[in-house]
Amino acid sequence: MYTIAVTVGGHDFEVTIKQTSPNGDRFAAQVDGIEHDVIVPDPGQQGPNEWMIVGDRPYEILFDEDLKTLRVYSGKHHIKVRDTRSAITRPESGDGRVKAPIPGLIARVLVEKGQQVSADDALIVLEAMKMENEIRAPRSGVVTSIRVKPGDSVVRNTVLVEVS
Amino acid sequence: MFKKILIANRGEIATRIVHACRSMGILSVVLYESEDISSLHVRLADECVLLDAPDGFLNMEAIIRIARQVNADAIHPGYGFLAEEPEFAQACAAAGLVFIGPSADTMEQVRSKINALYVVAAAGFTTVEYSEFSYGHDELSDIPQAAAKMGFPLVIKSCRGGRGLGERWVDSAEKLETVVRNAQAQSLDRYGDQRVYLEKGILPAHQVGVQILGDKHGNLIHLGEREGSIISRGNKIVEESPAPCLSDEQRQSLHAEALEIARLFNYENAGTVEFIVDADGNFHFTEIKSRIQVEHPLTEMRSGVDLIREQIRIAAGEPLAISQDTITLRGHAIMCRVLARDPWAEFMAAPGELTRVRFPCGAQVRVDTYVYCNAEIPLIYEPLIGKLTAWDRDRTSCIGRMETTLQDTKLIGIQTNIAYLQRILESAEFCDGTYSTDLDVQPFGDRRQPIEHYRDLAIIAATLYVKRNQAHTKNEMSTQRNGGWKQSARRMAMRGE
Repeated sequence: MYTIAVTVGGHDFEVTIKQTSPNGDRFAAQVDGIEHDVIVPDPGQQGPNEWMIVGDRPYEILFDEDLKTLRVYSGKHHIKVRDTRSAITRPESGDGRVKAPIPGLIARVLVEKGQQVSADDALIVLEAMKMENEIRAPRSGVVTSIRVKPGDSVVRNTVLVEVS
Repeated sequence: MFKKILIANRGEIATRIVHACRSMGILSVVLYESEDISSLHVRLADECVLLDAPDGFLNMEAIIRIARQVNADAIHPGYGFLAEEPEFAQACAAAGLVFIGPSADTMEQVRSKINALYVVAAAGFTTVEYSEFSYGHDELSDIPQAAAKMGFPLVIKSCRGGRGLGERWVDSAEKLETVVRNAQAQSLDRYGDQRVYLEKGILPAHQVGVQILGDKHGNLIHLGEREGSIISRGNKIVEESPAPCLSDEQRQSLHAEALEIARLFNYENAGTVEFIVDADGNFHFTEIKSRIQVEHPLTEMRSGVDLIREQIRIAAGEPLAISQDTITLRGHAIMCRVLARDPWAEFMAAPGELTRVRFPCGAQVRVDTYVYCNAEIPLIYEPLIGKLTAWDRDRTSCIGRMETTLQDTKLIGIQTNIAYLQRILESAEFCDGTYSTDLDVQPFGDRRQPIEHYRDLAIIAATLYVKRNQAHTKNEMSTQRNGGWKQSARRMAMRGE
């Protein structure tokens, strides 16, 4: 039995959830005193679940690794999920390391070490799939290091720039 | 007829040409670079040959050498790459190979856009307003005067056509130099020619192209028009036929004008005569695309003509099997381009492996693609991974069918623009057919959902959280390393949760 606090679409919900089948494909979720059956088909699969039935409503879903967003037919929704038994919540954004979200080739470096940047300022232009992709600052701060130069090939998650 | 055709292209169009060859009893040979070995065209062709050249599909010599080695008698260039290079058509001829496309002479004339505009204007047709001269790096100082004469907004275009170089808009004199410099650099990079020219920008506008087919015996027909006004970050993404911005009367005169313009260039094989239609319904000729176009399935769905098959027949010297009188353009077709771009991260490229794939099914739905489950989306090519086309008897029904088609399509493992395509299809401007090139649809919606919807999402999120915790516990007990979110669950645990 878990009690999970979820914020989505500007609403706060408290969901009490328990597994109701031995193989983990059925749950009962209680919200505001009303119980909803949840079916998670194909529970033994590798990789993330891609669909679920809540009550009698099927949802095809896509979510990110950190459970910060959830995509269904109505669009992409930002979510906050917290186990009410633990008081710890993660900070909104991690450290100031800006990593390559995709592999590619560094086309241009748009900032210099020591430069003041604001959140969303373009830092690096990364070329992939015949396109120029701008990598932007996650927050305001000072560029403390630049780890790449034009022409470098980078793999996913390579640290490009640090902003502190 | 040819016995064997080499396809100098990749991806969905190579797959499409393999299908056409097979339906005609012609052997097909495809090329692939090592990154691309898992694409569908490589599997489906009769022969596949590794293209091991530094500039890949742009390397004429390597491609012609392979064509001779495999004893091909013709080359289909697809779109992009070498499709609009007259030098390639000439090199094919010199090597005794038939180039499936217009004559090198016609390609030369229409590749120079200023030349094409000049020829068409001289024949008395309305064209977009364009600068008399083209400009290189050393002529930057001449541009402001020409720009001031024409007035803003302006469109900066490369003198050399082809390969989908996006046009660049400038709305003020201050930005002119930067935009021109960038356009010149990109043009030099792509075509080896830095020269650009100016076109007067027309807003709001519609981009409409008329499909034409001509044979070597003087027959020239049109197969109706397509509208491609919905452009996102340089990619046309939703196209349709017929164009909702035209009345039947306008449509007929546009078709007639397109045929007359094509005749000015002795056009043979497949091509598209492109126009800008302004807010008052005037046509302005812009250019001729001397190749098969990405959006050709729209025309095929409405006319029943297999355009690739016709291209091959025309190149083999056969007369058109159809005449203008026997063509019937039926109903309405809509095509969406599925791109590996993330609409929620500023349309960033999204290469990777497709772990799960579900394509749409149902009547009057067509899928053109090179991907399948577990296929790799390569990093080095353009982001088009497939095209979804729907046909129905009228536009309203067709929109409904396209919406279902989009919802049926699931590509898991990479980000795609499908959700964004859905937002465009449900926008008021698209639904009533009044959109133009300035259509602005944001990827994030502000539509409020009833609270029950958010409650269901909360239940889904809570269930995912619980399942992840269970997987995490299970993982601790085994040493098995699983991919994806389970690893991520371990990382969260290490961060102290």
